[in-house]
Amino acid sequence: MQDAHSGQDWRAWFAEHGARLRLIARQWTRSEADADDVLQEAFVRFWKHQRHLPGNPNALVVTSIRRSALDLLRRGDRRAAREKVVGDDMETVTWFEPEADPRLAALADSLKLLSDEQREVVVLKVWGDLTFEEIGEQLSISPNTAASRWRYAMEALRKLITARTHD
Amino acid sequence: MTDPDHDIEQALASLRPRAPSPALTARLAAELDAPASRRGVIIAWSAGLSAAAAALVAAFVFLGGVGEPEAPAYQLVRVEQSRPDVQFFRPVQMDDGSFARPVRVRWQDTTRWEDARSNTRLINYRPNDQFTLLPLETN
Repeated sequence: MQDAHSGQDWRAWFAEHGARLRLIARQWTRSEADADDVLQEAFVRFWKHQRHLPGNPNALVVTSIRRSALDLLRRGDRRAAREKVVGDDMETVTWFEPEADPRLAALADSLKLLSDEQREVVVLKVWGDLTFEEIGEQLSISPNTAASRWRYAMEALRKLITARTHD
Repeated sequence: MTDPDHDIEQALASLRPRAPSPALTARLAAELDAPASRRGVIIAWSAGLSAAAAALVAAFVFLGGVGEPEAPAYQLVRVEQSRPDVQFFRPVQMDDGSFARPVRVRWQDTTRWEDARSNTRLINYRPNDQFTLLPLETN
């Protein structure tokens, strides 16, 4: 992700990282449309104003996404009715490309079934490429708490996959 | 013996998140490819013109107040600014080695006053043609 510091074209950078950034936005939002809105706002802010800042650009862009997602959530009360309708996206739209391997397909489906707290740690670690310390900073929790949520999430995923592959 | 958590982490990492839609990329392009300085130029000029129009009206009203009683008392009824026509030209290299893009912006200002007593109108039509250089950032 160091390329963000250089003069690289945003399209090339977004083509490389856009999918995982959108997944990060998606797991913090209630619908596909909200995820697009959040990622658009966050990425434009990051690219225009933050990519030259010192530090890990990966953490910067994740922070920008979280900020936009929280802003959207605060505005959520005013459009609760709409959210209720589109909230069904959570069940019908897959977050990942289709997988031929049934175990991977079960894993992809199981991720949505984790609690919000566990899922955000998993997504930030695997697709955000953040350490437990960086995850702790993002979520305002201690690194130990982040690591603990990760362990519980792994345990839950293992059970969910086992149950699904035996169905 | 393998770490089961590590296996799941590796399996998770092999999942491929869905790519952003072309529509989202197009929305990003609209924001990131648009020359910000172009908008800035237009906004700055619009603000300047508005200020000039306000000053003109203030001066007109003030001067009108000390004129002959029978003179027409014009009231400002409309100020219009046409949509700017912006032309971008090929970048040029400046003496100091930096690059700049020449930009030409043309628009028209129309200001109209009316005197209800005499039913007369005063219309000021002014075409504008500005040429400027926008500094280009090179990396």
